[in-house]
Amino acid sequence: MRILAIETSCDETGVAIVEDGRRIRSNIVASQLVHQDTGGIVPEVAAREHLRSLDVLTEKALRDAGRQLAEIDAVAATVGPGLIGCLLVGANYARGLALAAGLPFVGVNHLEGHVYANWLYETEDIPPEPEIPAIVLVVSGAHSDLVLMEAHRRFRPLGRTIDDAAGEAFDKVARLLHLGFPGGPVIERVAKDGNPNAFPLPRALPADRFDFSFSGLKTAVLRLVRELEKKGDVPVADVAASFQKAITEMLAEKTARAAAEHAVETVLLGGGVAANLVLREAIARRIGHPLRVPRPGLCTDNGAMIGAAAFYVLRHRGTEIPVAARSDLKLA
Amino acid sequence: MLLALDTSTDWASVALFDGRDVLAEETWHAQRRQGDELFPAIERALLMTRTALSSVDRVAVAVGPGSFTGLRVAIAAGQGIARGNGAALVGISTLDVLAYPHAPSKQRTCPLLRAGRDQFYAAFYQERNRKWMRRSPFLVASLDEICRQIGTHTLFVGEIDAEMEAALRDLLGPKALFASPASRVRRAGYLAELGWRELETRTQVKISEIEPLYVRQPSIRGSFEQPFASPPSDERALGLPKRS
Ligand SMILES: [Zn+2]
Repeated sequence: MRILAIETSCDETGVAIVEDGRRIRSNIVASQLVHQDTGGIVPEVAAREHLRSLDVLTEKALRDAGRQLAEIDAVAATVGPGLIGCLLVGANYARGLALAAGLPFVGVNHLEGHVYANWLYETEDIPPEPEIPAIVLVVSGAHSDLVLMEAHRRFRPLGRTIDDAAGEAFDKVARLLHLGFPGGPVIERVAKDGNPNAFPLPRALPADRFDFSFSGLKTAVLRLVRELEKKGDVPVADVAASFQKAITEMLAEKTARAAAEHAVETVLLGGGVAANLVLREAIARRIGHPLRVPRPGLCTDNGAMIGAAAFYVLRHRGTEIPVAARSDLKLA
Repeated sequence: MLLALDTSTDWASVALFDGRDVLAEETWHAQRRQGDELFPAIERALLMTRTALSSVDRVAVAVGPGSFTGLRVAIAAGQGIARGNGAALVGISTLDVLAYPHAPSKQRTCPLLRAGRDQFYAAFYQERNRKWMRRSPFLVASLDEICRQIGTHTLFVGEIDAEMEAALRDLLGPKALFASPASRVRRAGYLAELGWRELETRTQVKISEIEPLYVRQPSIRGSFEQPFASPPSDERALGLPKRS
């Protein structure tokens, strides 16, 4: 089964063609560089860019895959969670495309997309599927969710952030250190030359066992930087490394605990922050399970992950397929 | 067969038009639910007329001015349909659609839509030399500023609540005329007519070039007492760089 899939929940416009939920035939992502000037995402600007590029990318995705629309079996799009004005663009375009081409439309939960990114490959030799049940950590600029995947399409949320998303914390600290946007990759790069033990930072442990909280850490970094500024010089690499150590340990700690407390086969990562090598190592060190992480390009938002999730939605019916766009859509 | 889609404001409308007759039309108060309700309405129109979407070879969408998020619902849907079955796609201004049914009245006509806070979208239409045309740029302004451009009797159409009507009567006295409630509702049947006509004369642009008229900056400059010069291009009216 060949699925054309569209992702527009935030600031990346993604269109992909995926076969049988595992094999990527084309996967095009247009990142909206315009947000770098504002140091964050402006929803109205993001929605405009989605509408401008979506049809162009769809045409290109088909061309790159060497396929006609007539050779597609279903059309999928993210219907939430995300920015509602952005979701509406992708979902309505996809529904129009599906209806006019006589194809089924599949609404996909964005978080399921991040999970199923672990099923995707670009080459012929595709490894076996990740074994489930699994613990999944989805960490990005919009999400920090710890999820138990009991079976295909059966997800049990275990915990989430009670304030900022992990990626947001990276962004805010990067801005504080004048490193630019987005913060994740730049902090990881700068931190390589820093001492992660230079500054001890607090690790918040919310009462709910699997929830996260990053605002205390963020405030501590702010206070530290202001103090260092007063003394004259801010050792940017040391601050970045210390912050990265603290936040990745918080994430790794809870992920490992969730894996230990549930009878799972695998630990899966997803979301932009999952591309962070320090996080991967911190988790791998603490768990006795195999750890799977999509390659960095598939950790961030893209259409292929929506195509993979859509395939399993169609194969494991039972739960209703969402159609309407919802900014606060929850995992089933 | 032409499918017309309009989600410019809280009011949404869908119509099917075969070039001669409006075969089906649905107009409803969708509020913020246009995103959920558009496709069920399209499917109802197709079902009622036993039309397959594959036989729809033209799509007209309202492109504003209006609610940006709302406009993008119908425009994205129209783009998807055009990509899905190769239909020709055309964008028509929401204010053009509102004014169009009042052309036979020969009155100077001003469609009004809320633009948030105390701002309104407006434009002026009038017949001259037997040609009904928009005679002003698309405006975003307060009712006060809009009325300052008005010297003669003007017919107001569009989404005019009691408070707006009272304000216009205060500002203009007997010069303010109001279309009847049913005739000032925005209906996709008219969008379909305008879209059909446009596609007869205009060559098809790229699908991705159909997008909302992002009117924002106040664009009232100078007087509209002599508004009968040919209307400025939309690009110029909106202060946008001209598309090459
Ligand atoms: Zn994401």
